[in-house]
Amino acid sequence: MVEIDPTDHEIAELGPKVNGIDDADELREMLDLEAAGEDRAPVKTLIESRLEKLEADDEEVDPETVDLTELSIADVANMVRGVDDGDVLRDLLEREKAGENRTGAITQIENRIESVEGTDEGDGEAVEYVPPEEKHPDLDHPTADKQYVEGVSGETYRDMWVYCETQQGELIEVSKEMLGRAREMMDEYNSEDGYGGDEEGNPEDVVAVLIGDGVDELAEEAIAYGADRVVYHNDPRLERFRHKPYTELYVHMCRDFEAEWRDYHEPRYNVFPATNNGRDLSALVQGELDSGLASDCSDLYIDDAMISNPAKTGKPGDSVEFERVLHMPRPDFSGFEYSTILCIDKPHRDFHPQGASVIPGAFEAPDPDPEREGEVVEHDIDLPDEWFQVEIVDHDTLSGGVDLTGREVIVALGRGIGEDPTRGIELGVELVDAFDDADLGLSRGVITASYVFDGHVEDYVTEERQIGESGQAVEPDVYIAAGISGAVQHKVGMDDSEVIIAINEDPDADIRDFSDYYIEGNLFEVLPRLTEAVEQGGSIEAVTGASDD
Amino acid sequence: MNTLVLTKGVPDFREGKVSFDEDGHLERGKTPTVMNPNDKVALQAALQEKVRHGGTVSLMSMGPPGYKEVLREGMREVYADDLYLLSDREMAAADTWATAMTVTTGIATLEESPDLIVAGFKTADGETGHTGPQTMWCHHMNDRLPDRPLLTHVVALDIDMEEGRLRAKRLVSGDVDEIETVETDLPAFVVMDPEFEPSYRKADHRLRYKDLREETKARAEAFEDHLTMWNHEDLNLDPDFIGLDGSPTIVAGVDPIPKGPAEREATPVSPDDDEAMNEVLGELTPFAGGD
Repeated sequence: MVEIDPTDHEIAELGPKVNGIDDADELREMLDLEAAGEDRAPVKTLIESRLEKLEADDEEVDPETVDLTELSIADVANMVRGVDDGDVLRDLLEREKAGENRTGAITQIENRIESVEGTDEGDGEAVEYVPPEEKHPDLDHPTADKQYVEGVSGETYRDMWVYCETQQGELIEVSKEMLGRAREMMDEYNSEDGYGGDEEGNPEDVVAVLIGDGVDELAEEAIAYGADRVVYHNDPRLERFRHKPYTELYVHMCRDFEAEWRDYHEPRYNVFPATNNGRDLSALVQGELDSGLASDCSDLYIDDAMISNPAKTGKPGDSVEFERVLHMPRPDFSGFEYSTILCIDKPHRDFHPQGASVIPGAFEAPDPDPEREGEVVEHDIDLPDEWFQVEIVDHDTLSGGVDLTGREVIVALGRGIGEDPTRGIELGVELVDAFDDADLGLSRGVITASYVFDGHVEDYVTEERQIGESGQAVEPDVYIAAGISGAVQHKVGMDDSEVIIAINEDPDADIRDFSDYYIEGNLFEVLPRLTEAVEQGGSIEAVTGASDD
Repeated sequence: MNTLVLTKGVPDFREGKVSFDEDGHLERGKTPTVMNPNDKVALQAALQEKVRHGGTVSLMSMGPPGYKEVLREGMREVYADDLYLLSDREMAAADTWATAMTVTTGIATLEESPDLIVAGFKTADGETGHTGPQTMWCHHMNDRLPDRPLLTHVVALDIDMEEGRLRAKRLVSGDVDEIETVETDLPAFVVMDPEFEPSYRKADHRLRYKDLREETKARAEAFEDHLTMWNHEDLNLDPDFIGLDGSPTIVAGVDPIPKGPAEREATPVSPDDDEAMNEVLGELTPFAGGD
C-alpha cells in the first residue's frame, strides 16, 4: 500500500511529497500506479529521479561487477550483507583472493556465505573459531609468544569496582562522586526493574579500591559514600602514585587476589577518575586485563545494547543484543559531539572488565551515610623493588594555578578569535585590565584548536583557563563571552553568572539563548571599544566618534 | 641519544576549517588533517634532547597513507631525522588498545631500540590520553622489548647521558594541583604535558638549534627519502588483533551536543547603536578599575 496515490494529485503538490519518501519500494509502486492511471510524463520523471537519488545515496554497488580493490573491508561487509546468492558470494570470494587477498574481507564474505547457506553442522550462525596460531602460522601472535594479551573467553565477571584516588591523605571529590554514581547504578542493576542482580539473581556490589599509605583510614568514608566493600593496600612506598606498583596492585586485586567473596575472574566494570594519574591508571589496568575503556566520561549508565558490528557479533548481517553494557557518553571532537562508547566482548575473546574514567564534577557527590555498613578487606602482597624504578625526589603543591571563581568580571574568548588569535587574546586581556577584579577565560575550542600564538600571549592559553564542563565553573557579576558559540558544555560553566553579555558575528549562535545582551558584531571591533569606554568610565559616544563610519 | 616520537593526525579544528553535515556531525573527510598539536610538544622535547646530546629523532605514526603529510609537517615545523608510517587497512578503526599493540610492534621492528620514547598527551580528536601509557604497557608485556619506566604529564625534562638517568617534573591533578620531581633510568617512556616548553639556555645550544631547524626544513622538501612504511605483514601482526577487529571498544553512537534550553531573553545590541551599547556599558562601569 502506498500512502500517496499520485493519480489523485496535481503535479505541483506531488513535488514536496515525493521528495519526502525514503522507501524505494513505495516509490516503485507509485510509479506503477501513475503509469497505469494518468501516465503523466513529468510525474514519472519526478518519481524516477527521487528513486535514482535514493539509490545513489545508498551507494549500492553491484557485487557481480564491483572492483573489490576499491572497497575497504567495512565496505565489503556492508555490500555482502545485501547479497543472498551463494554463487555471487563465492565469485566475490575468488576475486578477493585473486586480488588483494585481505583476511578481513575474506572472513566477511565467507561468513556471509555461511549465513545464507548454513554450515555443514546446520546451525548457520556462529563463525567457526580457528585459533590464531593455526589461522596465521606464519605470523607472531599477541596471545602466544608475544603475550600482549591474556585472551580469555567465557569467564565470569561481577561487581562494579571504583578506584578511589586520594591526595594528601584524603579522598578527592571525584572519588566520592564516582562512589555515589556507582551506588545508583548498581542499586538499579540489582532491582527488579534492572537485572535483578547477576545472572543467577544475586546482587552485585560496589567495590572501592584504595591504594596508598594509611588508606585504611578512609575505608569507612568510602562505605559511607556507597561502597559495599573496600579493598585497600597500605605501604609507605605507596604514599604517592606511581604507575607501575599501582597498576600491578590494582590488577592483582581484581584478577589474581584469592578471596572467598571474590569468586569471579575479574570485575564486570572498572571506574576511575579522569585525573592525570587516574586516567593513566585506567589505561594501564585495562590494557593489562586485555580490555577497553572510555576516558573522560560525562555520564555512565548500564543498559542493553543492540550491536550489528560483525567484529563483535561474529554473525555478519545480524544484530545481537548484549546485556549489562556500560554506556559511556563523553564529549568528543573538541566539544562538537558526544560519542557513546561501549566495551563489548568478541567471540573467543572477552573484553571485560568494561572500563571508564569519569570527569571530575560530572556527578554530584552524595551525602555520606555514616550508618551504611560494608566490609573492609586488606590486600597484602610483597612489592618487588623493580616496581619502584621511578623515584619521586620532591613534590610541591602548586598554589599559583589560575582560579577564575570569585571574580567580579570574566572576559571569555572563543573560536571567534580565529582570524587573528594573538590579537584576540590581547584584546581580551586589555578588557580584563580595565576592570578592578577580572580575569580571562577561554572556551574549550580555543584550547584544542591548533592556533599559533605569539610568545607574549602564549602563557594565557592554558587548560587552567578553560570554562565549562571539563574546566572551571564561574559565576561572576558580569560574564562577557566574545566569539563563543555556546555549546552546552560551555553553558554549564557560566550559566549562573549574574549578567551575560555575548559578542558574536553570527546572529543565531546558541549562546544567544542564554545571554542577557547579544552584541551582534565582530569582537575585534567591539572589544577595543568596550575597553576604551570602561577605562574612561564614560559613555560609548566618546569612543565611537573616531571610528564611526 | 636516540629518541622516537609518536604522533597522530587530527582534524584541523581551527575556526572555519571544520565541516558539519546536516545532522550536525563532524565531516572528517572534509576537514583537513594536521599533526596533533600535543605531539608537536613531544617532538619539541625530542629536539631539545638532540640539541643537548646529539643522536637521532625518529617520528612514527599509524594511519592512512595520507598521514605522510602529517609526518612531513613534523619534520618541517619541528624536527625529524627519519619517519615511519604504519599503514594498512587492517589497522583501520583501531581503538587505543589495538593502536598500542600495533605501535609497539612498529617500535620492536626498528633496527635500534630508542633510548627514549616520547608521546604527546591527548589527541585533539579522540582525546583519551590512553595510547601513550598503553604503548608502554605493551612493551612491558613483550619479553623481547626492554621494560621502560613511564613518566607522564612531564613539564620539564633533563637527561644525564653519563649516568643514563632522566630527571623530570610532572603535574599531578586532583583537588589540588601538585608538581613532582621524579628520576629514573634510561631507556624510558615519557608522555609530555602540553605545558612543556623546550629551553635552550646555552649559546651553543641556541646555535645548534638554529642549524638543526634549517637542516630539517631542507630535508622535509624530499621527505619521502626518509620515510619507511610498514603494513601488518611487515610487522608480522595478526589482523585479528589490530584495527577494528582487535579493539575492545566501539563507538555506539555519535550525537551532536544538544542545545541548551533558552533561559535568558537576550537584548539584541547593534555595535553601531550607541544607546544600546551604553546600556551594556552601564553593566560594566561599576566594575571598572579604580586607576
